[in-house]
Amino acid sequence: MKNLYKIIFGTIISIFILNGTLADEVNIYTSRHYDSDDALYSEFTAETGIQVNIISGGGNALMERLKAEGKNSPADIFFTVDAGNLWRVQKEGYFKSIESENIKSIVPENLRGPNDEWVAIAKRARVIYYNPSVISPEEMKNLNYEDLSNSDWKGKIAIRGSSNMYNQSLVASLISKHGVNQTEDWARGLVSNFARKPQGNDRAQIMAVANGEATLAIANSYYVGIMLSGRSGEEQLAAAKKVKIHFPNQDNRGAHINISGAGILKNSPNHDNAIKFLEFLLSKKVQKYMVNLSYEYPILPGVEPHPSIASFGTEFIEDRTSVANYGKYNTDAVMLMDRAGWQ
Amino acid sequence: MNNILEIFELNHSFDKEVYVLDNINLSVKSGEILSILGPSGCGKTTLLRIIAGLEKQTNGIIKINNKIVSDQSCFIPPEKRNLGLIVQERSLFPHLTNYENILFGIKDLDDKNEIARDYLELFKIDHLKDKYPHEISGGEQQRIALARSLAPSPALLLMDEPFNALDEKLKIEMYAEIKKIFKEKKLTVLIVSHDRDEAAFLSDKLITIEDGSIKEMLDTN
Amino acid sequence: MLKFQAINFWGSITYLILALFVLPVIIIISSLFGEWSENWSHIYNFVLFDYVSNSILLVMGVTVVVFIIGVGTAWIITNYKFFGKNVLEWALILPLSVPPYILAYTFTGLFDTYGTANNLLRDLFNLQSDYAFFPNIRNIYGAIIVFSFTLYPYVYLVSRSAFLNQSQAMIEAARLLGLNKIQVFFKLAVPIIRPAIIGGIMLVSMETLSDFGAVDHFAIQTFTTGIFRTWYGMYDINTAMQLASMLLLFVGLFLILERYSRNNAIYTSKSSTFRPIKLTKLQGHQGGLAFLICFLPVFIGFILPILELSFWAFERNLNFFDYKFLITTQNTIILAITAGILCSIFALLVNYSIRFNKDNFSRHAGSLLSLGYAVPGLILAVGIVQLFTWLDATVFVTSEIVLTGSLIGLIFAYIIKSYALANSSIESGYERISSSIDDSARVLKSTGFDMLKRIHFPLLKTSFLTSTLLVISEVTKELPATLILRPFNFDTLAVSTYIYAAEERMMQASAPAIAIVMVGLIPIIILTKMIRTSRPGKRDYE
Repeated sequence: MKNLYKIIFGTIISIFILNGTLADEVNIYTSRHYDSDDALYSEFTAETGIQVNIISGGGNALMERLKAEGKNSPADIFFTVDAGNLWRVQKEGYFKSIESENIKSIVPENLRGPNDEWVAIAKRARVIYYNPSVISPEEMKNLNYEDLSNSDWKGKIAIRGSSNMYNQSLVASLISKHGVNQTEDWARGLVSNFARKPQGNDRAQIMAVANGEATLAIANSYYVGIMLSGRSGEEQLAAAKKVKIHFPNQDNRGAHINISGAGILKNSPNHDNAIKFLEFLLSKKVQKYMVNLSYEYPILPGVEPHPSIASFGTEFIEDRTSVANYGKYNTDAVMLMDRAGWQ
Repeated sequence: MNNILEIFELNHSFDKEVYVLDNINLSVKSGEILSILGPSGCGKTTLLRIIAGLEKQTNGIIKINNKIVSDQSCFIPPEKRNLGLIVQERSLFPHLTNYENILFGIKDLDDKNEIARDYLELFKIDHLKDKYPHEISGGEQQRIALARSLAPSPALLLMDEPFNALDEKLKIEMYAEIKKIFKEKKLTVLIVSHDRDEAAFLSDKLITIEDGSIKEMLDTN
Repeated sequence: MLKFQAINFWGSITYLILALFVLPVIIIISSLFGEWSENWSHIYNFVLFDYVSNSILLVMGVTVVVFIIGVGTAWIITNYKFFGKNVLEWALILPLSVPPYILAYTFTGLFDTYGTANNLLRDLFNLQSDYAFFPNIRNIYGAIIVFSFTLYPYVYLVSRSAFLNQSQAMIEAARLLGLNKIQVFFKLAVPIIRPAIIGGIMLVSMETLSDFGAVDHFAIQTFTTGIFRTWYGMYDINTAMQLASMLLLFVGLFLILERYSRNNAIYTSKSSTFRPIKLTKLQGHQGGLAFLICFLPVFIGFILPILELSFWAFERNLNFFDYKFLITTQNTIILAITAGILCSIFALLVNYSIRFNKDNFSRHAGSLLSLGYAVPGLILAVGIVQLFTWLDATVFVTSEIVLTGSLIGLIFAYIIKSYALANSSIESGYERISSSIDDSARVLKSTGFDMLKRIHFPLLKTSFLTSTLLVISEVTKELPATLILRPFNFDTLAVSTYIYAAEERMMQASAPAIAIVMVGLIPIIILTKMIRTSRPGKRDYE
């Protein structure tokens, strides 16, 4: 029993130690987490002497915590994947405009919040994968997202479920272009073309194309990079070697782009450190380091993506509409997919 | 001799309609052994629980040692009534040895062990002291229970069908033995029973309860 | 028993804590009295039916399967002697250390078209590259298997202890009346332990309903995935909380029904003569069959996932064993033990207060608190965050955040989440203490805390330990509340697993996942030791 008391008291004491704040620090709420990030944060601390404190978790949950904490929140930076999440935090009024000319000169306007409340740190495209031994690159030429609802593709398309935010953002971007009604018709057509009930993650869709279960797969660009790295096993490596990427809408608005991004919170207790941290993330060294590990595309001009992802082409046209639209239309997108029977 | 227990005009009902106990009046003198006799369900166990303070009567007054322990305005909880209680079911604390069971209620810290040893001797259970209740027979368990109840020197010992679970031969042996002890120690005892022979043998006075009220009162001496 | 005892010091403390703990659940339910957004018409028209019907199908399927596995194996283990029985007796509890979401991940890793199992078969028999022997498991039937094989131990544990306590004389009487063993099982043994079984099944159902990880991985549209879709996709936390409240009320209804059915019958045998059950020895193919029946649940729920996880971990060259991993493990263990002990103490106090004061407030608040087990962890966490920030602002009046993001908050959340587990074993322990013990103690001048310390606690030691261990194993697995409520730079094993598994990087996730199972295993092994020693003889007070 004595020891149990010790443990309990030890824990209670440690609460205060853990909660104790250091003078020079930056507090980050992040829903983006990679092994490599720890190295990144130590590097930042080594360079600037600023301690990095992290809470990682789901973007939505962290946002509720931010909301509840209100102006007492210790958070300086909210770092997340998907523009929709950033838009929501911005809309609730938790971000303040980022006033670093340095940052604004690096990140193009369409990859920032309406009033620079948040900025992209890295980007990815949502692309179409195909197996060139099944369908030739000529047949794929000029294929748009809009064409995927044609009955030519009946039983040939693999895509994951509609709970996935990448799909929600893609549909939201189509709503911003064509309106709800037209997009709903499109979604119905797409659903009737599904090769199978939506299941698995993006990589499972790429696998389906490699193995002939489907002809086309819609998935994010960086996944093929991860698969080619061999980090996820022989099976995925072999599958990734079989597929090619098609960038849709190349003769019009361009391929759908989404971002990993971050914003500084209105009540940030360490505002200057937060700016320093964002600048650090956008520096040449860090951009290179990050995209080499995540297989995303860099934001900083002049930095090359990882060679294995670059080999699929870097000179594609990107959709330049503001990624902030994804958040705006996200609810419509979810309801529309429910109505279209997209599970 | 003064009265240890007095009960005046006691009524009790569970659901406010039917009285399980109806106008009970009785008293027990110091050193007296009183039996309450009645068929099962006649309310005699309830009466015992009310005296012990484990239940509160609907109406009436209970006095112990000339002090009111329960009436409309006051209620003294069982732990402050200085009583002993023996029930029919096994109520020894199963996680304690028999010796620890006997020690349980003794408040006199200095003479604790001496008192307990006296009772071990008195009930001839010295050899059982390091065993646990589930390791000994039913008769032995009742002896431990008696020793445990008497060790804190209660003003009044209450017994609810104490020998019910024992076989005939053992019962008769126990009757003689405990009656001797009760008389030697000048204990005031109230026994609830459904067995007329048992009641007649053990007690000085006998009360019969039927349908919640007292039917007869006998002096067995 | 006393109805008229004044509320004492201990009573009021219990009240205060109880009220505090019930608040997050009330905060969630209070959403029902808020505004109902227009998203409701969409949910009602297009998705609600699927959510409800899938959830019902899932819970019913799981109920049937855990009943068959839990009660069946418990009966075989208590009544027969066969090869491997001594090991299986405790091994049957092991799947409790595997969280459903981890079993779901390993199942898809094994049985997807290109999963380990299908690959192995194709290689072995040189089959075509798209041949899949195992049917698709990413559906409701797969989910039923996943939940059943990780949660059946709750039913096994209660059934086994109930079978052990069953009066042998009664069973023998039934045999003399001409019932064979199978008839005795169905007509006597099972109906008599019905309350225990229902209690176990309630725990399983609540955990099934509140789970998000496994159903999300299988892409099944259940009530819980619906809650999160509304929150994450439609950005509507209020409607999500209203959905969660409905789930809560639904579960609450069942809890009340269960209590009602239990109050109407007293099933405990008060016989004072107890003889140990005579074991029938099974030999030959009968013994083999008994072995298989009891081995299968252990294989599917424990051995298989461990094998697959180890396979993944070794493919990654074991470089996970670093300093950070040790700290994470230590965090998990300390948190789990603290929460386990506090939660059990709390359940003890609440049950004590119910026993003594016949106290309706404690009883109802206790039931409400048990509902915490059925709330999806993240929704519960939102309720707790709201309570804490309010407390921080009004009670502690600081500009600093005290409770939110502290370990106190995290432990608080764990206690609410696992109260139902602690309560189930403390409550059944209390039911076994005869009220004449309390009477004797009172007459011998032991009341209040003294009685709790000298009589109840020693008598409830086994129940207390069981409760603590169940909570520890639950907390080790807990993910959603930990994610949102933890302090800066504080990871637990479940968090590490999640961070990788969310990206479906199972190779990296496998090391912490194995560690979760191993940490969860420690209490389970202690539990099994206890089961083996809780043989008759000692049974008198347990």
